[in-house]
Amino acid sequence: MTTQNQTPASKMPAAEKAPSAWQRFKDTHVWHSFIKDRVAQISLTIFIGYVIMALFAPAIAPFDPYDPTQIDIMNSELPPSWDEEMGDEQFWLGTDAQGRDLWSTILYGTRISLTIGICAVLLQATIGIIIGLIAGYRGGRVDSILMRFADVQLSFSTMMVAIVVLAIFQASFGTELYQDLAMVMLILVIGIAEWPQYARTIRASVLAEKKKEYVDAARVMGLGQIRIMFRHILPNTLSPILVISTVQVANAIISEASLSFLGLGMPVSQPSLGSLISSGFEYIFSGAWWITVIPGIVLVVLVLVMNLLGDWLRDVLNPKLYKG
Amino acid sequence: MALLEVKNLEVSFGLRSGDVKALRNINFALDRGERLGLVGESGAGKSVLGFSILNLISKPGRISDGQILFEGKDLADMSAEELRNVRGNRISMIFQDPMMTLNPVLTIGQQMIECLQAHRKISKEDARTIAIQKLQQVQIPSPETRIDQYPHELSGGMRQRVVIAVGLLMDPDIIIADEPTTALDVTIQAEIMELMVELCERNNVALILITHDLGVVSQVTQKAIVMYAGRIIEQGPTREIINDAQHPYTQGLMNALPQMAIPGQRLNQIRGSMPSLQKIPTGCAFNPRCDYVRDACTQQLPGFTVSGNCQVACHMVAEMKQAEQASEGV
Repeated sequence: MTTQNQTPASKMPAAEKAPSAWQRFKDTHVWHSFIKDRVAQISLTIFIGYVIMALFAPAIAPFDPYDPTQIDIMNSELPPSWDEEMGDEQFWLGTDAQGRDLWSTILYGTRISLTIGICAVLLQATIGIIIGLIAGYRGGRVDSILMRFADVQLSFSTMMVAIVVLAIFQASFGTELYQDLAMVMLILVIGIAEWPQYARTIRASVLAEKKKEYVDAARVMGLGQIRIMFRHILPNTLSPILVISTVQVANAIISEASLSFLGLGMPVSQPSLGSLISSGFEYIFSGAWWITVIPGIVLVVLVLVMNLLGDWLRDVLNPKLYKG
Repeated sequence: MALLEVKNLEVSFGLRSGDVKALRNINFALDRGERLGLVGESGAGKSVLGFSILNLISKPGRISDGQILFEGKDLADMSAEELRNVRGNRISMIFQDPMMTLNPVLTIGQQMIECLQAHRKISKEDARTIAIQKLQQVQIPSPETRIDQYPHELSGGMRQRVVIAVGLLMDPDIIIADEPTTALDVTIQAEIMELMVELCERNNVALILITHDLGVVSQVTQKAIVMYAGRIIEQGPTREIINDAQHPYTQGLMNALPQMAIPGQRLNQIRGSMPSLQKIPTGCAFNPRCDYVRDACTQQLPGFTVSGNCQVACHMVAEMKQAEQASEGV
């Protein structure tokens, strides 16, 4: 959309006629409500912090937790550096049972958790949007069949499906292969298990949108069904999609963490936040609380800010709450 | 051969309680460059007729009988491909509410370019040039800037101009305008109608104007069709219908115009309201509201009587004509 908008900029008479995208954004309701909402600002700042942590993990982290040569088993279970007696200056947040620097591992773990969360949601969204659009637009029998599929899928809990699928995969292909493919498998399982959320939301908005005259107008123009669905109706259903996406990413991260905690997620050699919590859990009674608690806090804060952002977006994008 | 010919068209809606016929026995022809007005109260079937010409009636409606011939070819026999080519390309439609007709999340340019590219193999730049040209034709000031704006950034009249530009985009042969000015205020209504007539004349486009405003019909169209409860009750040259309405319903519509009222008195109106399509009275559908009702009206459906250049479906007119002929015969 934007590329097309920019081409004629040279033809435009004066600069005052063509406000830049940023200036236009500053005039929007979204921006105004953002600068008024302290919670949203803090949440977004923290979330951006997480994203930077994840993106630049290799640059920020003092150690590479995937490199066995940098790990010394003698350093295992060192408490955080503020512990005067045992702490080591080198390891800010202490080390885990294998002697890995906890701070580095958390950075890499955040990267894995976020990747899984976002990719799984992209997969959910793709499946859900296509099915929801078709069901809503075509209606009738197609709608009933697709939506019954969604109902069946929803009646299995995500965790149950994931546990069964992952356990069978692990049992039949061995742990070796599983460890290599763990990330892909988690994305697939979480992605496929949760598409009905999207399909239902989108179907509901499509049902409302397709009665509007612009859809008739598009049909009168002789545009094809697929074009109408994806180019005309889909952009009009984007706000609910945005809102559930934030919540779904948080959910996917939690699902991944729970699966990892149950030993079905990321392997210990490439820990996500969930598997870190799980691996530290064995040592919590021996006094090494930090291995579990610190990644736990990191995870909780991540999920919390995502949910807060989602709440804020829902309020902003809800026209019924719009006060001008 | 007429550009568009509708023969014995019947449209029914399959409801749980049985088929309801929204249109019955519709016959008319439209030539290139001709302007036709479709008049009637709400629910008379005007819009359904407009949609059925594009074969776009939504379920549970369907064309249950008759033919719609576009350049001699029945629309019902066309493949989906051919139909898409007719829609938008050869016949386009303009709707009532310009706010609703334009997609709120796409710029005007995107919508116009998309339509052009759907029908012709042209580059984005060429499509854009054509779009700007059309915006110029509908007298939108500085179309180069307007084309990148969203519908909500334009005023109502401007939006309707854009909608007309979209309708003209493919240089169609027929434009169906479904109450194109009802959502606009009166001064802009006149401007828009003038513009449409001018554009139709210049490009030799036929216009089907669906409206309940007889004033607009008399200014704009050459032929008019008056519909009531899914049937044509009177059709002919607009001037004759306006000046010398034969059917009591058309007369009633004429008398209901505020211009016809005597100052200080109540406006005239046709008593009662349009019957539900499920409960159309036997005989002439208008009989419960007609001042000249007679026995035949409640029993038998009136056929068309030729009166001047008009065709009128009314027993009273038929009787009067017979009497006239009899007296002439003597």
